[in-house]
Amino acid sequence: MKGFFATFKHDHWVMPYLRRYRKLLALVLFLGFMTYFCGAALMFNSGYLISRAATHPYNILMIYVPIVLARAFGIGRPAFRYAERLTSHNWVLRIVSDFRKRLYQAVEKQAVAIRQTHQTGDVLSILAEDIDHIENLYLRTVFPLVIGWLLYLFVVIGIGYFSWPFGLLMLLLLGVIVILMPLLSVAINGRREFQARQVQRQFYTQLTDAVLGLGDWLISGRRHDFLAQQDAPIDEIASLRRADHHFQWWRNFAIQVVFGAAVIFLVWWAGVMFTHNQAEANWVAAFGLALFPTVEPFSEMSQGVSEWPVYRNSIQRVNALDENEPVKVAQTEIGALEELKLDHVHFTYAGAQRQVIDDLSLTLHPGEKLALLGPSGTGKSTLLKLMLGDERPSSGSVTLNGEPIARLQDQRAQLFGVLDQQPYLFNTTVMNNVRLGNLKATDDEVRAAIKAVELDDLIASLPEGYNTEVQEAGSRFSGGERQRLSLARILLQDAPIIILDEPTVSLDPITEQHLLDTVFSVLHDKTIIWVTHHLAGINHVDQVRFIEGGHFDMQGTPDELYRDNARFRSLYDLDRGR
Amino acid sequence: MIDQRVFKFPGVKPAAAIMAVLTVIQAIMIILQAQYLSVAIVHLWKQQPIGTIVAPLAVFAVAFLGRHLLTILKDWLLYPFVEKTTKTLRKQFMAKLFDLGPSVVAEKGTGNVVTMGLEGIDKIQTYLMMIIGKVLDLSITPWLILIYIAMIQWKEALFLLAIYPLIIFFMIILGLAAQAKADKQYAGYQRLSNHFVDTLRGLPTLKQLGLNETYADNVYHVSEDYRKKTMATLTIAMTSTFALDFFTTLSIAIIAVFLGFGLMNSTIQLLPALVILTLAPDYFAPIRNFANDYHATLNGKNALTAVLDVLQRDTPSDRELLPDRDPVWQADDALKFDHVNVGYSADDTTLQDISFDVHGFQKVGIIGASGSGKSTLINTLGGFLSPQTGEINVRGTQVPHLDQKAWQRSFVYIPQAPYLFHASLRDNLAFYSPDADDDAVNAAAAKAGLTDWIATLPDGLNTSIGEGARGVSGGQAQRIALARAFLDDSRRILLFDEPTAHLDIETEVELKQTMLPVFDHHLVFFATHRLHWMNEMDYILVMDHGKIVEQGTPAELQQRDGAYVRLRSEMEGATVK
Repeated sequence: MKGFFATFKHDHWVMPYLRRYRKLLALVLFLGFMTYFCGAALMFNSGYLISRAATHPYNILMIYVPIVLARAFGIGRPAFRYAERLTSHNWVLRIVSDFRKRLYQAVEKQAVAIRQTHQTGDVLSILAEDIDHIENLYLRTVFPLVIGWLLYLFVVIGIGYFSWPFGLLMLLLLGVIVILMPLLSVAINGRREFQARQVQRQFYTQLTDAVLGLGDWLISGRRHDFLAQQDAPIDEIASLRRADHHFQWWRNFAIQVVFGAAVIFLVWWAGVMFTHNQAEANWVAAFGLALFPTVEPFSEMSQGVSEWPVYRNSIQRVNALDENEPVKVAQTEIGALEELKLDHVHFTYAGAQRQVIDDLSLTLHPGEKLALLGPSGTGKSTLLKLMLGDERPSSGSVTLNGEPIARLQDQRAQLFGVLDQQPYLFNTTVMNNVRLGNLKATDDEVRAAIKAVELDDLIASLPEGYNTEVQEAGSRFSGGERQRLSLARILLQDAPIIILDEPTVSLDPITEQHLLDTVFSVLHDKTIIWVTHHLAGINHVDQVRFIEGGHFDMQGTPDELYRDNARFRSLYDLDRGR
Repeated sequence: MIDQRVFKFPGVKPAAAIMAVLTVIQAIMIILQAQYLSVAIVHLWKQQPIGTIVAPLAVFAVAFLGRHLLTILKDWLLYPFVEKTTKTLRKQFMAKLFDLGPSVVAEKGTGNVVTMGLEGIDKIQTYLMMIIGKVLDLSITPWLILIYIAMIQWKEALFLLAIYPLIIFFMIILGLAAQAKADKQYAGYQRLSNHFVDTLRGLPTLKQLGLNETYADNVYHVSEDYRKKTMATLTIAMTSTFALDFFTTLSIAIIAVFLGFGLMNSTIQLLPALVILTLAPDYFAPIRNFANDYHATLNGKNALTAVLDVLQRDTPSDRELLPDRDPVWQADDALKFDHVNVGYSADDTTLQDISFDVHGFQKVGIIGASGSGKSTLINTLGGFLSPQTGEINVRGTQVPHLDQKAWQRSFVYIPQAPYLFHASLRDNLAFYSPDADDDAVNAAAAKAGLTDWIATLPDGLNTSIGEGARGVSGGQAQRIALARAFLDDSRRILLFDEPTAHLDIETEVELKQTMLPVFDHHLVFFATHRLHWMNEMDYILVMDHGKIVEQGTPAELQQRDGAYVRLRSEMEGATVK
């Protein structure tokens, strides 16, 4: 329970929405309450109806009201339930829209940081799932719990109206079901949940490992080891599930026992209370039957609450998201690009020892084309981050027309176009994807860009042409085609500096050659910084630099290097298969 | 209603038989419970002394307890069967995965297979636990109650019987309507629901395009769109639950009114009337429970189908045709492919008419554009894929496929990104020979050029690597795979599938220095599109569109001036002057 309050102490993801949409929330709770009220009232009324009828009233009108009420409650219960379910789902989905926007904004502000610290895909899917969890928290835990309590209060007050000591007894007895049992469920499940999560994670890791490394397992011939490895977690999972089931069975049984006791007490009490004359005695059956329909909502409460530990993790995770704006320096704007300059730049990642960039200087003028090479981990990607302003140099400066890059972040998309290893295509049409480069572009401009990257024939051959869906992550297209579509996007974006971050790494040499030819011909008037892992197409640039240990150790034009530098020459020949 | 496949699990029939008996007893308890509660109430209604209700209430209490104890007893008896079945399923599933090999993973997708083994089987457990009890409840309890009511008052019983098919009819009609509507919207629906993750994943791109801030509104609008569409479908989907609820609740109300009239006209006494009224909700309870858990049932059914689909696949037979020998491959052995066709499914042939003849410690280069079938050929050589037609001859033994136990002990497979297990570096290095001692492992690591790197690791060979643990660069992963080959000298065949495609040229040069010495005394198959490797090969297969279009020694191919020369010049591209 302490955990419960601790979770909500600094919560700003769950509670605010309960407040913001409180009218709809009240409606949901009212409808939910009415559903079960009608259920109980139907049995109450029916019990009275037949008791009254059994006294042979001289006129049908004497039981006319209970007859009408029986139908009203009979229709009321399903109708309220239907309305409740629709309203609650609508309410929750409305909140989900708010959540998504907010989560997006939080992630967007931290986009760079998240990319560095996590495997992007994983963390994003987890966050998206968290939202689904919070959706279920409302539907499966919060609503049933509050509706159950309302019903509980109603029953206790209703009985207390006739006799407060007996009302008190019911308060305690039913309290076991609606308060004690849920608390017990959370306490016991919370303990087991920690264990379960560990076993699950272990099994998940092992299973993924086994599946991904299946080829190696097969070759190793270690079938016995392979199977033995999975046995332990399989047994552990089974015994955890067993414990879970046993707890649930006995808990549900305990709920029923308490409930049965409540029914017996109620009948007994009615027998003492309402037997002074026949008119009073007619109410006995009403009280005797009315409690039965409430057992369903009451026992649902414990079940809903047992899921709490899952939701708690999600709530904590979204609450832990940093939604603060990163500190931003005052922004300014520059006109046409004159010069990109790195001046004695040093860089060390926060908290790290090793200096990644060590006294690097570089000047680029409009239209110049530079290729950067070097083994992984030598600072190529850090250098790109510094140029884009995602990181700031520890000392030295990165400037455009003399303005520090940090002061130009608002203008960034107008200054830089980026084509990286895996450009993302959104799950929408070709037209919409390319238009993301410039939302104001006309259809003709988009088509012209696609023609420039030589995809017009391919797109035209598709059944729906430019309106063809690219499918999830662009899976309809090959790697080279995806790069071309992104290139079209960059053409529309029309920024003066283009950063190519190993765009051909997963392509075969022929596709690579063709793509590079296209890239350098359509971007001939741009300033290009091209990070590449080998020397194919190196003749497209007018400067080559090798980074090693954070500084440049070989530089020159491709022709000069080939002529004067033995190492470059051997690498180049090797790359060309000699 | 119940899946026939459920009855195929061993032990299900005795469990179900005992459950059925218990369900009958439970139904009797339900009737007793209603009967004696009514008796107590009628005593009070007749204003008899409170003492007269002690006995009936006691019977009620016993029946009530008995009813709920029976629920536990039923679960208790069923659970061992369910647990055993799911455990067996899990183990069978793992064993099947091992026997089927990576091709099934390639076909189904890693995520899918993991989900099947983990959540899929959980769902089956829930399904088994639920379905047997629910179906028995549904097919026993209402009818016993109905018979009892009929013995008291046949008219009400007739009404209850008549309403039953009506409920089912409406549920099916409305359920189908909802399904039709949902199906129609499915594609758009799916896209909307994935849109959010799609957007999050594409955030870096949005940032590059300067759209990251304005896109927040788009996220909201799409989500609202999704809400409206979902609500439209839910409105119909919930109507089917509404219909069930409506008919059952209204039936109880109508029964109450019927009984009221009967009592007024003295055609029935209060006690039987009260019994019928009390039993009516229990008559409808099983079908309501069944409908409420319909979705969990459906999920379980689908999971069962998916898992059984994998379990029922044929595993390659004849895996021991190739006689074992140590080492399996020697200098005078020969491997021959004769008109081999390979495909991922029956109606597609990825590799056509593959014939070649290699022997001893030849170095065979496989070259071709993307999609020409290089990887498929390597997979066939590794036995991960079985040929559809054609003949393979190893060491003079005719085999239908290379999924031979002895063959698989003879090679090391090194793909573009060798898989590193979530384990210590030592276990990764010694994966093919887990019994190797530390000296042997260290020696192999040294030959693979890993010594310097290992020295930088906090726990040396015991450092944990692999997914989620310490990151290992592409070059080092290749070296670890190479060390496996150094460590197990009995594996004399090396299968390389574009091992350097992701590496930068300088790393590749260094790696090549380490790799070349391993080529001695090994039969090497090397698929790549980095041309310089061809200079190290003494036989080359040139592939195009699933066929071998040219083969021979590099010198022969150069002289022939055919596909090989064309491919090379196309791959080289323009030159520095």
